[in-house]
Amino acid sequence: MKLSPFFHVNNRIAKTVTVLLAIPALLLPAACLLYILFKGIPALHWDMLAGTASAVSFGAIGSLWPQVAGSLLLMLGACMIAAPVALGIALFHALCASARQQRMLLSLLHLLQGIPPIVYGLCGLIVLVHMLHWGICLLTGAIILAVIILPMLVLNTVHAIDRIPLERTEAARALGMRDGQIVRRVWLPAAWPSLLTGLLLGMARALSETAPILFTATVFSGINWPDSLFSPVTSLQTHIFYLAQEGANAQAVNIAWASAVILVALVTTFSISASALRKIRVGG
Amino acid sequence: MNTKRKTSDMLVATAQPATTTDGVSLQVSGLKLSLGGKNILRDISFSLREHGINILIGPSGAGKSTLLRCLNQLHADWQGEMLIMNHHARQWPGGTDALRHQMGLIAQKPAVFPCSIEKNVTFGLSSRERKHPPAGLIERVLRQAVLWDEVKDRLHESAAILSIGQQQRLCIARALALSPSMLLLDEPTASLDPRSKQLIEASLSQLAETMPLLCVTHDIEQAQRLGGQIIFMCDGRIIEIASADTFFTRPERLEAREFLRWSTCDCS
Ligand SMILES: Nc1ncnc2c1ncn2[C@@H]1O[C@H](COP(=O)(O)OP(=O)(O)O)[C@@H](O)[C@H]1O
Ligand SMILES: [Mg+2]
Repeated sequence: MKLSPFFHVNNRIAKTVTVLLAIPALLLPAACLLYILFKGIPALHWDMLAGTASAVSFGAIGSLWPQVAGSLLLMLGACMIAAPVALGIALFHALCASARQQRMLLSLLHLLQGIPPIVYGLCGLIVLVHMLHWGICLLTGAIILAVIILPMLVLNTVHAIDRIPLERTEAARALGMRDGQIVRRVWLPAAWPSLLTGLLLGMARALSETAPILFTATVFSGINWPDSLFSPVTSLQTHIFYLAQEGANAQAVNIAWASAVILVALVTTFSISASALRKIRVGG
Repeated sequence: MNTKRKTSDMLVATAQPATTTDGVSLQVSGLKLSLGGKNILRDISFSLREHGINILIGPSGAGKSTLLRCLNQLHADWQGEMLIMNHHARQWPGGTDALRHQMGLIAQKPAVFPCSIEKNVTFGLSSRERKHPPAGLIERVLRQAVLWDEVKDRLHESAAILSIGQQQRLCIARALALSPSMLLLDEPTASLDPRSKQLIEASLSQLAETMPLLCVTHDIEQAQRLGGQIIFMCDGRIIEIASADTFFTRPERLEAREFLRWSTCDCS
């Protein structure tokens, strides 16, 4: 069949319109990123990561190492709490829950995913900081971040288990394997790349959340390395927030840009590792 | 709680080796199962002798797969009586998981695990036996499944690269590695190439000399080739049980005649 010339013209117009519409969607984040790099890279100095934090000027000058460490500690804490809980909930979903409980669990998780993180921060402030007297500390922040990334981790694990062919699970069961053995020897070997991908995305998410840890886990400065779980920390995210408010202080704003570059680099590392893993999974 | 139940089960099972019927490996009487409020199996009664081929034949939707799944306890909520090697299935020493070792189930669609051929064969064994498989076990079961010659040089390669027909034979070897007392096969050759079909049928005929096989098929020609006892099922009921000679030449029931003629029948 020969297509009418109008089809080609229409087709070309449609293509152009789509591209034109897509450009701002791509351009905006790209421009943001470029601007951060443009402002931040000149502000970066080696001694920001190597030197020690200075108490002068509210920590606005000196090393950013405590902030990087604080961010990573919060992230690791959140993942160490959330990952086993997520696996447990997903296994309950797959092995014990009735069809109705499964539906209820999934809708609850979707609901939780939609709650603004600041609300979790507020709950953490009331329950953990005030009622339990933990104060503003690393543990409080890690738990709140864990709760925030939990729905995503659970849904990811549930879907990873769902993708395992039912025949394979039934074959294992027909061989007399118990639930625990099936999880260990059939499900985890098949699902671990997906689980790791989800965990890396959860890490990226925990690194970028700012509001909920602002008043539950972090202080502006004065902490090099927390001496316990109940010690407050500093973090890159909140550091940017504090410094950006010092709009008049050119030095402070400069360091905010430098912090932004480091944060973007960290988040991108986790996201890119996640998508690389996903490619391996699709390939293999 | 679980262990308590199992010990008591063992006591009961050893205390009353139910009705002693010699030469019978499996006796099912009055088996019923409903799924989702629908009666899928109604009043199923039959027995398997200690060796020989038994063909479960019937139109699709008759409940043949469901019956095999009941025997392997993948459907656990059946009612009725099931005696396996003269023990009540519900009171099997060691529980359901141990019973499943005895009832080797081979599914219609082969499901191999994403590991080596050798590891697939030993997949159902205990962790100690997996590390040090009994001498000659792998070769013996692969030979029984007529797969040895094709894979003996590449036991460490992934099982996923085998053809579907080879995978199906690997599944048979995997079930045999648990030294089952019978094999339940659900349309083992459906959608396989003729060569694999031939090899699997040869393997089944050989295995049937040592243990009872219950093989589902809706392929009348295959049933004729394999022979043995024919159990004809339709709409969740057993309609006729007869030897292959009788069933294919002088079927008693109208439904059986209809099925032999049209490969389908109306029993509801
Ligand atoms: N899990 C289930 N829930 C409800 N109905 C089922 C289930 N599994 C099978 N059935 C029904 O049981 C009947 C018998 O199925 P099946 O045993 O697969 O038949 P066959 O293997 O003889 O073709 C079919 O009508 C099917 O729809
Ligand atoms: Mg079937």
